[in-house]
Amino acid sequence: MAIDRLERLTNLVANLLATRRPLTLEEIVELVPGYPADKVAHRRQFERDKDTLRGIGIPLSIESADAFSPEYAYRIRPEDYYLPTLDLTPEERAALHVAVTAVRLGSDSGEEATEALWKLGGVEGDAAPALASLPTVPSLAPLFDAYRRRATVSFSHRDEPRTVDPWGILFRRGHWYVVGHDHDRGEPRSFRADRITEVTFGEPGAFEPPADIDPGSLLRDDPWSFGAEASIDARLLVDAAAAASVIAELGEDALAERRPDGSVVVRLEVTHRGAFRSFVLGFLDHAEVLGPDELRTDMVHWLRAIAERPVTAGLMSGDAP
Amino acid sequence: MSPRPSVGPRLQRVLALVPYIAAHPGATIEELATRFQVPEGELERDLELLPFCGLPPYTPDRLIDVEIYDGQVWIRFAEYFDRPLRLTAHEGLGLLAAGRALLAVPGSEVDGPLASAVAKLESVVGARGGLAVDVSAGEYLEPLRTASHDHERIEIEYYSFGRDALTTRTIDPWSVFHAFGQWYVAAFCQLADDERLFRVDRVRGVRGTGEHFVPPPPSEVVERRDVYHPRPDDPRVTLRLGPEASWVVDAYPTELAEEHPDGGWTVVLAVSEEPWFDRLLLRLGPDVTVLGPPERRNAGNIAARRLLGRYEGAPNSDA
Repeated sequence: MAIDRLERLTNLVANLLATRRPLTLEEIVELVPGYPADKVAHRRQFERDKDTLRGIGIPLSIESADAFSPEYAYRIRPEDYYLPTLDLTPEERAALHVAVTAVRLGSDSGEEATEALWKLGGVEGDAAPALASLPTVPSLAPLFDAYRRRATVSFSHRDEPRTVDPWGILFRRGHWYVVGHDHDRGEPRSFRADRITEVTFGEPGAFEPPADIDPGSLLRDDPWSFGAEASIDARLLVDAAAAASVIAELGEDALAERRPDGSVVVRLEVTHRGAFRSFVLGFLDHAEVLGPDELRTDMVHWLRAIAERPVTAGLMSGDAP
Repeated sequence: MSPRPSVGPRLQRVLALVPYIAAHPGATIEELATRFQVPEGELERDLELLPFCGLPPYTPDRLIDVEIYDGQVWIRFAEYFDRPLRLTAHEGLGLLAAGRALLAVPGSEVDGPLASAVAKLESVVGARGGLAVDVSAGEYLEPLRTASHDHERIEIEYYSFGRDALTTRTIDPWSVFHAFGQWYVAAFCQLADDERLFRVDRVRGVRGTGEHFVPPPPSEVVERRDVYHPRPDDPRVTLRLGPEASWVVDAYPTELAEEHPDGGWTVVLAVSEEPWFDRLLLRLGPDVTVLGPPERRNAGNIAARRLLGRYEGAPNSDA
């Protein structure tokens, strides 16, 4: 009778976990029932099994059989395999069940997240109705993995190579960011994860993030503060109609003055004048750049250029749809 | 042979089941089936395989000892499976992101079981405090969620960004959810006499009416997540975009887009609200020309003149 694949895989994991030294493929075939006798066939079968183990996150370590042999040998290192003791209470497991069903990451229907709960002692309590969905991007899991291992990451950010010690991962306003020490710039930086590709990371334990790091405080996600221009302190007057939304967006810290008519004056540090202008224009005639003169003049020139543009008389040649 | 589920999840389940049963001798099949989300029959079939698993030479003392009696299960001789497999990066991230997000929702119990579970997970995963999820939403999220939960009809002050106008509306808040980095209320709006999606950060006030509504089936609500769909009768404009403005093609639902050799585009765009269109023209400045319809060719000029009105003379009593 053919041996069930689950049975072979269970034996394979048990043997690779219990072994004191790495096992070659021939040894594995000998020890674990269910591999075909033919060399090519059992090699193919083993490759498939390896993929299955990797697919569910079993850390297979590949070493050389011995110093004089080029042959590979395999084992599962207990320190890589076992989940450290968590001691979750039934209430804590139920709370996690609620969390993973209420908050979905990416297109996950919640199935993947509840499978993770099996490892924590199974699913308890009731599922919650969907409340929030967070996007996910391919770079996110590797960046998180590098962060938790304290491994320096290299990646491509908008086609530019970067090397960063990841101090934390943060979700804000619809995007994931990694914040950390940028080796090339020699200072803390933040990068949007959806602009990151080709993540690779080095040895674990390569750095220690500063104590009590708050990733949010390092994030510069306001476009007008993301530029390389000399920093300038802008004062912006916003009418009562839009006062609440500008404070909601910039935070109370930005509030410089509340006027009796309900309007507010906010302060912004600007290093990208184009992005600042777009932000201000979003308020239409509910906002006015008060100063400094340089920024006010800049806005006036921009608006005057639009106001005085010639209006097209008809379709330009070559532009007909 | 009946089709079996793929072997990966089955193995994953077995590797989690065995340590659980070893630690909870006599667990019932019924409880295990619920806890590990598997039909009882399938669970029993997988448990019946385990007595054939173990280590060489596969003698009884080296095989996993499984006893199933009267709906209860005992497992011995599986010390190499006495603890479950570690969480993968993806799993750790998923659990922590969900936990952190829920803890950040106003009204969550910040020192309850979820907070302690997240703290334990963080220390095991190696993510002490470095994973943060910001889902802040201003002051009206809580009253809106309460009204939705209680099926209470409410009156809201709402700032419509597209129309740049503040309105008072009576709505039935069907559901409140977070998506695309924003909180939304899906509701029936009496003013529009239709379903509408409101952004919570644009709500400027919430008042109870004391009336209640009957919610639609939840499945219908969750799907309505698109913020703007062009309607057939929304006016269309034709724009010539310079190369610097080509992002517009990706950012908005354009209906006709033709690329030019200079990297610019000609696009046809639906415009539901004038202020939205004014913003676009003002931001793009010299990078956009309105080709048609004729009455809109000077829309940018007019909007710019209106804004310039604010800049005549000295800054508005700058302190």
